[in-house]
Parts: sequence; structure tokens; C-alpha cells
Amino acid sequence: MKLILVFGALLGHIYCQETFVGDQVLEITPRNEEQIKHLVELEAEEHLQLDFWKLPTIPGETAHVRVPFVSIQAVKVFLESQGIAYSTMIEDVQVLLDKENEEMLLNRRRQRNGNFNFEAYHTLEEISQEMDTLAAQYPGLVSKVNIGQSFEKRPMNVLKFSTGGSQRRAIWIDTGIHSREWITHATGIWTAKKIVNEYGKDHTLTNILNAMDIFMEIVTNPDGFAFTHSMNRLWRKNKSTRPGVFCIGVDLNRNWKSGFGGNGSNNNPCSETYHGPSAQSEPEVAAIVDFITAHGNIKALISIHSYSQMLMYPYGHSLEPVPNQKELYNLAKDAVQALYQVHGIEYIYGSISTTLYMASGITVDWAYDNGIKYSFTFELRDTGRYGFLLPASQIIPTAQETWLALRTIMEHTLNHPY
Amino acid sequence: MPPAVSTPPAPRPGVPRPSALLLALALALCLAVPGLQAAGPGPGPGPGSPGVPGAPPPGLLRQAARAALHFLNFRAGSPSGLRVLAAVLRGRAAVDARRTCRVDLEFTAERYDPEVADGRLGRCSARVVFRHQKPRPAVNVTCTRFMETSRSRREDFLLYKRAKRLRAPLGATSIPNSHGWIDPSLRPIWDLAFLGSSYVLWERTTQTLHYYMAQLSSVNQWKTNEDAIDFDYMVLLHEFSTQEIIPCRIHLVWYPGKPLKVKYHCQELHTAQEGSGTEEGSAVAPTQPNNF
Repeated sequence: MKLILVFGALLGHIYCQETFVGDQVLEITPRNEEQIKHLVELEAEEHLQLDFWKLPTIPGETAHVRVPFVSIQAVKVFLESQGIAYSTMIEDVQVLLDKENEEMLLNRRRQRNGNFNFEAYHTLEEISQEMDTLAAQYPGLVSKVNIGQSFEKRPMNVLKFSTGGSQRRAIWIDTGIHSREWITHATGIWTAKKIVNEYGKDHTLTNILNAMDIFMEIVTNPDGFAFTHSMNRLWRKNKSTRPGVFCIGVDLNRNWKSGFGGNGSNNNPCSETYHGPSAQSEPEVAAIVDFITAHGNIKALISIHSYSQMLMYPYGHSLEPVPNQKELYNLAKDAVQALYQVHGIEYIYGSISTTLYMASGITVDWAYDNGIKYSFTFELRDTGRYGFLLPASQIIPTAQETWLALRTIMEHTLNHPY
Repeated sequence: MPPAVSTPPAPRPGVPRPSALLLALALALCLAVPGLQAAGPGPGPGPGSPGVPGAPPPGLLRQAARAALHFLNFRAGSPSGLRVLAAVLRGRAAVDARRTCRVDLEFTAERYDPEVADGRLGRCSARVVFRHQKPRPAVNVTCTRFMETSRSRREDFLLYKRAKRLRAPLGATSIPNSHGWIDPSLRPIWDLAFLGSSYVLWERTTQTLHYYMAQLSSVNQWKTNEDAIDFDYMVLLHEFSTQEIIPCRIHLVWYPGKPLKVKYHCQELHTAQEGSGTEEGSAVAPTQPNNF
């Protein structure tokens, strides 16, 4: 990981320098304040042309510095004479750059052994392929269900996790309804893999799957998602068009039939929260409505978004509390506590309208009004530092902590049949 | 089990607090929220959760905290001293007849740069006054220091030197890229971009709208041959609660230890914002912005 950061930084340096022949990158670890002071003095030596990427502030912290070829001897002699520990991270920068640098970047799509790399963000094709792989590798547990087509005619596929039975009580999870929220798709596919890995090992999950099914739609807005890869990384809506309408797309999380068209949605087609011409007008939403309605036995619905670090329940369209508000509040509290235990990340929780903002025509409001008592929506990491552009390095930690929260909700659903 | 952090219950609307009797004639207190002792770290219920009747509108305290920090970041003019909100500790809000909303609050802040955010929190207290649905809230804020002044000066100077040696990629860019990656060598550009954006983010914040810097989308100019860094760039701001992406062009001039100079122009939106007549702000910042 560190190495990759270094490689990435080197590419940036192409802008400043034409050749890096013989340049080295050193990792220096000062042991005490005096050594740090020496490094600061070293840095100030203009003629050495040192490029410190990180300046250590406390003993034990490391510094990375690119040292031009002509200065290497002088720097090493200095470090050794002061007893400052260092190691050579990169022997010859130019040799590195001569290789296929693209491959070395953080965004490696495949690990060396050809397996799906859960630590990276993926395209629609790659995620679809991994879904197929899971279904093929675990035929007794996973199957792929097609629930319809998107506006641009892409298939909408749902993973079904089931150990048998017929029309069992089930849990629905969706990610990616807003296409720019890449951390949600990444969390979704990681969670799918987690489920197949943990069935039979994790006591709680095994109990859940022995009695209930899990449905997971990972790319709930495939057209939007493809668009975030091809043209506009910050695209939110779907890609539906209408004759005579200048702007494209409907906010799929404002298109549901619950408080449709109310506050917190917009009737301007150019707006990011445009609710569409009518409730369920969008094929992506209609497909889910049809599926869940026909199934008739969905007992929990979890819709995953980013960002803000929140776990919320209905309503979004009104401040009025739902009948089982107390139960949902306590369940959210437990789920968020479980999440916190993993990496110390703090979520806040409550109803959507009182925690985040008023929003009408949203998924969980519809689900709740259709009898799904345990309806939750997540807003995953972070709280604004990176926002939608959450670094890939945070995918696994985010997915790990979210899993604990999901499991808490699923377990409660299992133990409270209705 | 970490205790919850929450905004505490409020008296019913129309009932003035005993200590505010003097102001009772001028102020109709409908959002007064007596302070609660600060709780420890850990997740907590949002404002307005059950058991907290009459609490300020969702996130008002957080809103005020953000505005205060953007203002502080701008005034400090220190890219290595940039701070973001960690948690709101306590606060109260009061609305007067003209619907001016005054928020007094205490909160914790941490360093913006996640690489060096070592969990150390600074404590801040602020008074933020929002004029009814208008931007440019008045801010009075003080925070405990994260580190000695000499060290932050040193870090700023280090950044300055790195910036001077850097030949920034001119033209359209994506920092971070789609995968959230910021090249470490380009980090000074990102930090300065956020510093400049702080002015914009503060000015645009209202009671109900707040912003994050989503991406640096172009570098129009990066002049380092003179003493100061002269940086002209474009950012994409993410607006809550409308979810809009707003492109803003920002031009800053920065030298360590000197007040930051910022000019900006944000593109007009296709949709009208709630309660505010104009979507674009074009301002030349005085070196001593109003602070009332």
C-alpha cells in the first residue's frame, strides 16, 4: 500500500522533472526530537533539492523523501553520521517509471491471481461478472434473479441468497440507487462475498439464512453507474429522457409512491432531486416495486447510500413518527454501536426527516407504508472530507463495519417475526 | 458503552427562559435549548430524536459548527491548520421576530488532512448568526490550538516550499480522481484549494444549505515565481440538501502568515435556491472581513 502511494507520487513528479535516472526514495524514521530537528535542517538545504513528502512530527513517524541522484551520497552520509535510521524504498526511480506504471497504480482491478479485487472500485461489467461468479461457485446458496430492465435497457439483476424453502420471509438490500455513491456498490459486492463465506461459520448469519432469504440488488441504477464511469463521476440520477424535456434523469430516491412530490423533492427536471413525472414512472423503481409486491414476504428493507455516516428509518416526507418508532430507534442504536466497535467510526441515527432532511417519495417510506416494518437507510462514510470520492483504501473498513450493522438489523428481523 | 450525544429537550415555544427575561420583549424564543453536559466519544442520536421535544431543526447546530469552521479556516489562512467538524457538544438556538437565528455552541474539531489527523481534537466555541435564509452568517469563533504556532508555521512553510517547486498540471483535472486518489505530490494543491474554498463555503452557508468541496476540476493558473502562490482554479461544490453540484471558479493569493486573498464566482443553478434570490456570489474578500 505504501509502495503504491510512492509510485503514484512519482508519476506526479513527472511534471517537475524530465528524468529520474538514479533518483532514490528513502524512508527515514527519526528516533527522537533531535533527529527530527536534523531532518528539518536537511530539508532546508536548498542545494540538495530534496523533496519531502511527509515531515515527521513525532519520533517514530516516518518521512518519505525523493533524493536526486546527485545528492544521494551526501544525504546518506549525513543520516548515517547522525545515526538516523533509513531504508531505500526505491533503488532507481527511472527503472520503475519505465515499467507499465498504469498497472502499479492504486486502481488495480484484479489481484495477481485473477480474483476480484475488493479493495478497488469496479465497472458495471466487472461487478456483473463477480455476481455471476458467486452464483456459479455457490449454486446451493446464491442465484441471480432478473427483475427488469433499466431505461437504457440494461438488465437489472438481484442476488438471491437462500438455503431452501419457498417464498420464505426475506430481507431486501439495495446499493447504488444513486450512481455517484460508489462506496455503496463496493460495500454491496463485498457483503455478498461475506455472506457466502460466513454461512456455516458465523452463528448469527447461519441462523438468519436457515430461516430467511436475502435479496441484494447491487447496481440499482445501472445506467447512472455506467455514466459515472464514462462521462460524469458525480452523476446521481438515472438516465431517463422525455420528449421536450431539456434535462436528463430522475432521482430514483424521490420516485416512490409515498408522499410523492412533497417537500424535499423537486419538480424541475434539471434538478438533482427531480421526482419524475409520476410515482414509479421510472423502470428502475417500478421493477423493485413489482418484485417486492409480488414476493409478498419481505420483512426488512435496507437501502444504502453515501455519504454522511447516518443510519435512519422513516419517515422522510413527514416529521410524524412511525408507530414503531421506539423499536426502530433502539434497533438503530444497537446497529450503530456494533458498527462503531469495528473501527471507531461514529454514525448518528434517527428518522430521516429529523436527522438528515425532509425528502419525499423515498424508498424506505414506500417500503414502510407497504407493511415492511423494518425499513432502514444508511449513509455510509465519510462526513465530507472526500464525500463521494471516498478513497478505495476505505472500501474494506467501510464494508466491514457496515456488515455488523446489517447483521444486527437482520438478526432483529429474524427474532421478531410478524 | 459510550454515552449518547444529543441535543436536550427544550421548553415549549413561547415560554421564555428565566435568564432571558431582559430580552423577552425583543426575542420570541421558540428554539431555546438549555445546554447539556458534554458526553464522551461514540455514536449518538441525531437532533430531534425521540425524547428530545422541541429541539432545533435537524442539524442546525452542525450547520452552525460548519459555518464557524469554514470561517475560521479562511481567517487563519493556514493550509496545514485546516479543521473539520468532529462532533457537536452542546448548543442552543434562538430566533427573533425578524427570523434571525442566533446559535451558540461548543464543538470539537479535528485536522482536515486525514493522513495526520491523529485523533487529537480541538475544542471550539462559537456564536453564529444566520439572517433568515440568507447566506454569509456572522461568525465569532475560538478554538483551542492543535499544535504550537511555531509548528504550524513550519508546516505552512514546508507546504509553501513544496508548492513553489511544484509544476501543477494545468487545465482540466480530477483531484481526487474517480477512485478517491490524490497524488501525494499534488497534495499542496488540494490543501490550498480547500483553503480558498473555505471562503466560498462560509459565504454560501445558510440555516439550511451547506457545502462540501467535492473535487478540484481544473487548474487555470498556478504562479509561484513571485513570493506568493497565485492560484486560479475550479472546484465542484456539493450542496446539501439540494444535492446539487455547483462549479465555482476561485482565485487565491497566499503567502504563509499573511491573510488569504480570495475572489470567486460560482455558476448559477438551473433551479432557484430556497429563500435566496441569487445563486452566484462574486466577492472580493477584504483582508478583514466583517465579524459582527
